Amino acid sequence: MSDLDRAIAQLRACRLIPESQVRELCYKARELLIEEGNVVCVDAPVTICGDIHGQFHDLMELFRVGGDVPDTNYLFMGDFVDRGFYSLESFLLLLCLKVRYPDRITLIRGNHESRQITTVYGFYDECIRKYGNANVWRYCCEVFDYLALGALVLGASSGLEPSGPALETTSTTMSLDDSELETEVLNSRGEVTMSTYRPKQHRVDSPLLPSLSQDKSATSSTQNPASSMPPIRSGWAGTGATSDSSGSYSTGTGAVLCVHGGLSPLIDTVDKIRLIDRKQEVPHEGAMCDLLWSDPDEIDGWGLSPRGAGFLFGGDIVKHFNYKNDLSLIARAHQLVMEGYKEMFDGGIVTVWSAPNYCYRCGNVASILELGEDASNGGTVSRSNGDYNRSNGAAAAVVRSPGRRYRVFEAAAQDTRGMPAKKPVADYFLVKLPWP
Amino acid sequence: MNRLAGKPHEGADATAMSSLPQRPKSMAINGFTITTQTLPILKAEPIDKMTKKLGIAPPEMIFGDNFVEIEHKDTPWKITFNAFDALDRVDKSGESMLQVAYSKQWQRSRNHGGIKEIVKPFDWSYSTDYTGSLAPGSRPFEATTKHIPTDLLRRPDPILFYDDVILYEDELADNGISMFSCKIRVMPARLLLLARFFLRLDNVLFRLRDTRVYVDFETGEIIREYQSKECDYESVRQALALTRDDVPAAMRDPNRLCDFIPLVETRLERTVLMV
Repeated sequence: MSDLDRAIAQLRACRLIPESQVRELCYKARELLIEEGNVVCVDAPVTICGDIHGQFHDLMELFRVGGDVPDTNYLFMGDFVDRGFYSLESFLLLLCLKVRYPDRITLIRGNHESRQITTVYGFYDECIRKYGNANVWRYCCEVFDYLALGALVLGASSGLEPSGPALETTSTTMSLDDSELETEVLNSRGEVTMSTYRPKQHRVDSPLLPSLSQDKSATSSTQNPASSMPPIRSGWAGTGATSDSSGSYSTGTGAVLCVHGGLSPLIDTVDKIRLIDRKQEVPHEGAMCDLLWSDPDEIDGWGLSPRGAGFLFGGDIVKHFNYKNDLSLIARAHQLVMEGYKEMFDGGIVTVWSAPNYCYRCGNVASILELGEDASNGGTVSRSNGDYNRSNGAAAAVVRSPGRRYRVFEAAAQDTRGMPAKKPVADYFLVKLPWP
Repeated sequence: MNRLAGKPHEGADATAMSSLPQRPKSMAINGFTITTQTLPILKAEPIDKMTKKLGIAPPEMIFGDNFVEIEHKDTPWKITFNAFDALDRVDKSGESMLQVAYSKQWQRSRNHGGIKEIVKPFDWSYSTDYTGSLAPGSRPFEATTKHIPTDLLRRPDPILFYDDVILYEDELADNGISMFSCKIRVMPARLLLLARFFLRLDNVLFRLRDTRVYVDFETGEIIREYQSKECDYESVRQALALTRDDVPAAMRDPNRLCDFIPLVETRLERTVLMV
């Protein structure tokens, strides 16, 4: 058993590794991460996860529900630390797994992976408490600076293979011969609680304006009957491939952009994310800040948050960005959602939240999002050669969103936490009465 | 073709939490009934409803089903503390809007963006002066100078009923804490309720708004005291730094902070129910 495997075993048991080992681990992780671009390309199948926030036992539950590394290919969208009681154990385990299986786990940066935020929201204090000094916090912060800002999932399939037994209460749209399973929601026992179908796509539709091409919720095919036109473009989305050089017929979906917060008014193409100098503390302004902080909202265009800092972006922004970049979906985290996930803007963006019973008191469920692999090209993913001059945009294929399987799970059972259940302790709340 | 109309399962009821207590806790004593309910945060659909009804976006952690209620059996007197009514008293116009510490820096750097419109301005700190909701027909409170009898509350009487009920909480997009919660304890002869709004806006200010409701079962006397405290962030931080306290922990704990934040407003009210 290598030192690394031993460290993984120890961290899985929620026991910390020595400071010297953390130092070595962080050094190796940095060497690995420095090689990654700002936007990491990940091939489907992949399981996308949202905020963890130091809820170690719930991270274990996530692995139980979603499968272990390296069996399952994971993509974590940041906010590993702060708020919960086990930021160190959670982050160090993920980092060990990254170093041990670099191609099976992708970590991107959340707004909590920052010196400033971790000093206020718990991770710094936890490091001091558990190691007696700030060294480990410093090592971790140096790793934070090297984390990628986003990921692009390629080769996701548009339809899902139905899975698991359906519950009687399962709501479903009718499955017809010529339809494919678009979304499926499973509980932590693997039972299907909801599924939706849409018509299969046989040919890429004729050129459409962005405003017309966006209604992907299974309505576009009837409005625009499958034409006999050949596919106009089959290069993988987001890669800039523009020609149908292989001549192969593609049922592929657009790429899926994964980012912690959302879009930025300074970023109109995925390639612009690639130009950011990311190896720094998360700044208070600029594109890098926006990617980690912004939120979608039911507005038109861009707006300023009433807090005086931070952007909000509407459905039209998402549609335009997805169209321009040949994306079928943006997956992001950053905001608590009671149901574990929330799709907005006709499925153009989804929030994935992976911290159940957030802060040990919200009672929410969490979820992970599984994207399947498109096997229609023999499982190979065509890559671009880095040419980023896109097609003129007037002639574009209808990008089909990937099939989405959400696994919803609850907080880990109390007895797995190794600490007694917290009962409200009756107190007199009189301690500091301000009266004379 | 069968298909989902419009937005695919936005706000779908993905699963139900099964392991949580579903029923309110209740206790009847000396002509009063005390009821509390603690449930998980609201799901997407009730949040949408509340947003429409309130006219502002509710806090990130909205415990819309939670409440604390004190009811008098022989008269229609009843006081309730719930999230909706507390939030209904938040400034929805944006007139008293605070800004996060780095807002000026952020905006200066964004002058060329052309994005100027502030989306739905309102007091996103969710500051409220809520002192509870009286049921229609309740005997009203009147101003008084009589304080809550602290000495009686200091006696170590047995606590027959206790609960700590959170109504809402928001992380202010990692710019601090905003929280409204209620604690109640019931002793054989009296009860005390503390409803507390606590705000820490990092590097800007602290705000504490406490409502205490005291009920004497024997006399039917009810005293309600409201206290509003406020102070700039730096003064509190400096004062704390002089103590031996663990400063980061103290900055999350209104009980430790309350001595360091000066009083800006206080109101005393009283009513007596005919027993």
